[in-house]
Amino acid sequence: MSAARDEILQALRNNRPTPENHPLPPVRTLGDLDASRERFIASLKILGGDVLEPVEGETLDQAIMRRHPDAKVICSNVPEAKGTLPVEKVKTPQDAATIDVTVVRAPFGIAEMGSIFLSESQLPINSFAHLGQHIVVVLSPDSITANMHTAYQERPEFKSANYGVLMSGPSATADIQGVLIRGAQGVRSLSVWFA
Amino acid sequence: MSNKPVNHARAAEHFLEDAPHLQFHDERLWDMRQKRDGQMHMLPEWQDLREEASRIKEHTLSRLPEYLEQFEENAKKNGIHVHWARDGAEHNRIVGEILKAHNARNLIKSKSMVTEECDMRPYLEKQGVTVTETDLGERIQQLDDQLPSHIVVPAVHKLTSDVAKIFAKDYHTDPNIRDPHLLAEAQRQAARPVILHADAGMTGGNFVVAETGTFVVCTNEGNADLSATVPNLHIATIGIERLVPRMADLGVFIRLLSRSALGSPITQYTTHFRGPQKGGEMHVVLVDNGRSARLGMEDFWTSLKCIRCGACMNTCPVYRRSGGLSYGAVYSGPIGAIIDPTFNERKYSTLPYASTLNGSCTNVCPVKINIHEQLYKWRRVLVQHHEMPFVKREIMHMAGKLMGQPKMYRAAIKMTEVSLGSMPRFVLYNWLNPWGKHRENPHPVKQTFNDWYRKNREKAKPAAASETKK
Repeated sequence: MSAARDEILQALRNNRPTPENHPLPPVRTLGDLDASRERFIASLKILGGDVLEPVEGETLDQAIMRRHPDAKVICSNVPEAKGTLPVEKVKTPQDAATIDVTVVRAPFGIAEMGSIFLSESQLPINSFAHLGQHIVVVLSPDSITANMHTAYQERPEFKSANYGVLMSGPSATADIQGVLIRGAQGVRSLSVWFA
Repeated sequence: MSNKPVNHARAAEHFLEDAPHLQFHDERLWDMRQKRDGQMHMLPEWQDLREEASRIKEHTLSRLPEYLEQFEENAKKNGIHVHWARDGAEHNRIVGEILKAHNARNLIKSKSMVTEECDMRPYLEKQGVTVTETDLGERIQQLDDQLPSHIVVPAVHKLTSDVAKIFAKDYHTDPNIRDPHLLAEAQRQAARPVILHADAGMTGGNFVVAETGTFVVCTNEGNADLSATVPNLHIATIGIERLVPRMADLGVFIRLLSRSALGSPITQYTTHFRGPQKGGEMHVVLVDNGRSARLGMEDFWTSLKCIRCGACMNTCPVYRRSGGLSYGAVYSGPIGAIIDPTFNERKYSTLPYASTLNGSCTNVCPVKINIHEQLYKWRRVLVQHHEMPFVKREIMHMAGKLMGQPKMYRAAIKMTEVSLGSMPRFVLYNWLNPWGKHRENPHPVKQTFNDWYRKNREKAKPAAASETKK
């Protein structure tokens, strides 16, 4: 194994272009720096995500039932919703397969893309974000960052999480004759609840 | 594997015969190109992003050994096992050994061009491992026993009816389904149990961050995240050129990747793997397979900047009208035509000719690879190495002789003009004149430029000559 490593590194050392001719460019922050909730929502909708707007006096549990009336198993990992399945019951990656709606909190969102971030810190188990049929994401409007540059420069999670996923709307595919289908193999829908 | 040069032109001809497939293919890819343009016009900083991306990649390639070592050190610190493979065979052996050590018989994988490069599936299947592609397009190609025809949309050359036929055979769905939604749902239903019972999951990697020991996977269907989080063993196969120095560099690349590829702002999933999940094990196999040698090719090393977005394929008039499979290689389209010859110069010697040198590929490339110039330079290299098709070589030889002798050249032109006007079609349009296939020869002119010049300008010559002396 180490023979391969040494051989590859040596070949790269012999063959590379002169490093002095290719200095590392400084990190730049380009583009629109609007970090508003409105921009986030507009971007989220382009990628097929949606906002779960509370009807007056409604709790998150009630809003979820309104959005997903057929859901039988709702599993919440946030105090804002109770759900129907205690999250402690989800112990192995496969356990999440029977869930209709999972509820999680994202530590931040990105206005440019409508993306939300999830890591092992927000998930009882990583597959929780993908095996359920639908996901509801609780997001504080104060935790929206402007764009990909600001996200990677400012958010410490990228350097600390073992598993960190930016979800931008639900899973999707256009692999059959170019027809865009929302709800491919991961979640069928992604809704954001601001709180 | 056969070493015979790929007959791209003949395969393309075959593709052109099927009008419905050709028309869809051409329009679908052009639509992706137009969506990419739409995204580009929304960002005033687009050209700055391309410039940054190109400079970061060139810098990284010039210090690749140092960044690879930095990545390895950080990844190991986070509990990732790092392996190195010189070629496809070594890569396959490493993956096979990891699976064997875990007694893993069922492997689910998301799309990875490097595993295609290594021809991994047949190797593992011989070892008794069942490999299931989980990306929809890639699964269609697996069931149809074909290479992916496009690096982003592997089954783009197929129509819904083709997929319905393939799924009917393997998933027992109705062969007459014409709604892609139903077929996508069939894939979801078929894949779920396989995913839940898999022993190991495999992904590729779009970017590797030296600073943190992270690798990043950009996908849309959710299958890569399922493959990585459901089984407790995750193996990622990644080309050694995929590095970037800093986490902050990802901002540039993620903003460019999906916009260039599909014209969507970002992939639905952008996943950062920095270490194994709770109770899990994670392996990264860094694959060279010709890359370190390519780095030493003065005219071609910048092809290693490629982030595999496929924009050059979507815009290429030749690719759109010949289909990815006609290239007979893992990588097709303009980017394929400049990297395939580094894998096998003889076999892929025809591919740099599958271009009109219009330069559109270079203009859309998000990392500014001078693709059309490299296509031209490859032609020169191939001629020097005598890897030129016989007919083309003879024609060039004759053309060279003719053009070197003005009198003979003028006589030939006159003769051609006369023949174009008077010869019967069967003489002008046959296998000796490939130019006359699918198009009409130019109309003959009454007077050649040379005749016109002699008549109108010859007399003015001495005056013009004295003018220039002033």
